[in-house]
Amino acid sequence: MSEIYQLTSAPLTAHAFNPTRSQVAVSPNTSEVHIYSKDTAGGWALSDTLTDHDKLVTSIDWAPNSNRIVTCSHDRNAYVWNPTPSGGWTPTLVLLRLNRSATYARWSPNEEKFAVASGARTIAVCQFDAESDWWVAKHIKKPLRTTVLGLDWHPNSVLLASGSADGVARVFSAYMKGVDSKPEPTPWGERLPFNTVCGEFASPSGGWVHAVAFSPSGEALAFASHDSTITLVYPSPNAGEPATIIPIPLPSLPLLSLVFTTETTIIGAGHDCQPYLFTLSSSGEWSLTKSLDSGASGEKKAVGGGGGAVGRLNNSAAFQAFRQADSRGVVAGGQQAAAQPGTRLTQSGTELLTVHQNSVSSIRAYSYGSGGDVEKVSSSGVDGRLVIWDVDGGVAAVGAGVGKLGI
Amino acid sequence: MSNTLRPYLACVRSTLTAALTLEPFPSQVSERHTVAEIEAQSTPEVLLTPLLISRNASEQVLIEPSINSVRLSIKIKQADELEHVLAHKFTRFLMMRAEAFVILRRVPIKGYDISFLITNRNVEDMMKHKLVDFVIQFMEDVDKELSEAKLSLNARARIVAESYLSTFA
Repeated sequence: MSEIYQLTSAPLTAHAFNPTRSQVAVSPNTSEVHIYSKDTAGGWALSDTLTDHDKLVTSIDWAPNSNRIVTCSHDRNAYVWNPTPSGGWTPTLVLLRLNRSATYARWSPNEEKFAVASGARTIAVCQFDAESDWWVAKHIKKPLRTTVLGLDWHPNSVLLASGSADGVARVFSAYMKGVDSKPEPTPWGERLPFNTVCGEFASPSGGWVHAVAFSPSGEALAFASHDSTITLVYPSPNAGEPATIIPIPLPSLPLLSLVFTTETTIIGAGHDCQPYLFTLSSSGEWSLTKSLDSGASGEKKAVGGGGGAVGRLNNSAAFQAFRQADSRGVVAGGQQAAAQPGTRLTQSGTELLTVHQNSVSSIRAYSYGSGGDVEKVSSSGVDGRLVIWDVDGGVAAVGAGVGKLGI
Repeated sequence: MSNTLRPYLACVRSTLTAALTLEPFPSQVSERHTVAEIEAQSTPEVLLTPLLISRNASEQVLIEPSINSVRLSIKIKQADELEHVLAHKFTRFLMMRAEAFVILRRVPIKGYDISFLITNRNVEDMMKHKLVDFVIQFMEDVDKELSEAKLSLNARARIVAESYLSTFA
């Protein structure tokens, strides 16, 4: 059963849950960060506002173990927020030394450092300097020539994958001497000083790389690009052999965000306003299995359907069919293939049958099952909705959830 | 002739739906600024290939997408001098009120009659599928308006001529 929350009427640029999932930090398309707490009725109430940024806050990440929040914004700054005993948040200075906006920020799995992607064609990897109580950045610059749009850390907290606007996903080493211990050799490479490029990958037709994700073991990398493909990269364990690259073309609009739920399943969401599930079959083929949004297939009635005219003739299906053929070019006797999956052409115009009424901006793991697999994912959209999806799909109660919204 | 209208509009609809996949993109050229990249043309890698959809030589739509903005230019069918003048007056009327339209451009792209500029801010404030519906509806309505205007102009001219010349009869 998916839980749907309409937090604001403004787009949610980024969201991050706290470790116990009782609070969520969102950026409502402004320079503020709003922290909502779950109230007794099960909804979300605004409990805190963090106002230190001057321009749009582009990314928020909440560290699960140390309970710290990192935010970055278009004003070229990032802050690390520590919780105070009185329930508020205090910012810690981060010396990013960037001269363009920051677009994405993520904590490393060991939470000793975090990486910030920016339009200054650099990735700033920051570590804490205890003497001066601030975070100091080291820059990954070398092959980057355009804005970096997305990042993901490898489970060993040393390798970092990035996707940028030149259509190339790269894996870097972000090994920092004081902070990291020597990592075990991985199929991505061994003996990796800071700023080594472990691999560069592009999708077949090119297109800006919106999101990158490592699999839970770190053996595979997936990235979503603007040519509506997800590309899987499996590096070969023998040095010198090229990596296996598997593109999966999608029948939908480009995806903006990806998350691996198990070693063989990926959930991605983007401009199609619904999360899609991709699985690796036992025969070794990746394919799009289904959409997590069962309403998009037209099973449930569209919310707020048009019409309502009186009279038997007006409501008859035949009348509607010919009327649509005349005015909108919808072929009588069958639904014209709508431009997008999950939409329906009616008299009053296209209606979106999905839960999200606009693109999904980010999708993250919400809760984990017994085996460490992700059970639920949370998505935030440009329509201001925060939705928590069951990975197993079968959302029978989407209708009930939408009904609760009272629209 | 009208059997090319539906495929033409369907093609424009699906192209526009694909082009409206916009996201906020901070400028790489000037710090702390966001510009409509399709207008600035300063960062070649974020611009996509412009697409021209033609119904025939005189009716075309040019869609120029980029990462955070889309420009859509429409060339309206103008068969004779009279339609040319009417189209020019009509589009000038709309473009002078471009602020009320939000997505309309004050000046059309060279070679076209009217242009829209849709940015990621517009897409965040308004629903994408409704924007596409609006543009398609606009394209249909413009043709209807022009033919109505031409008919009423001819009718009016006939009435005026009749009433004037009847004094000489």
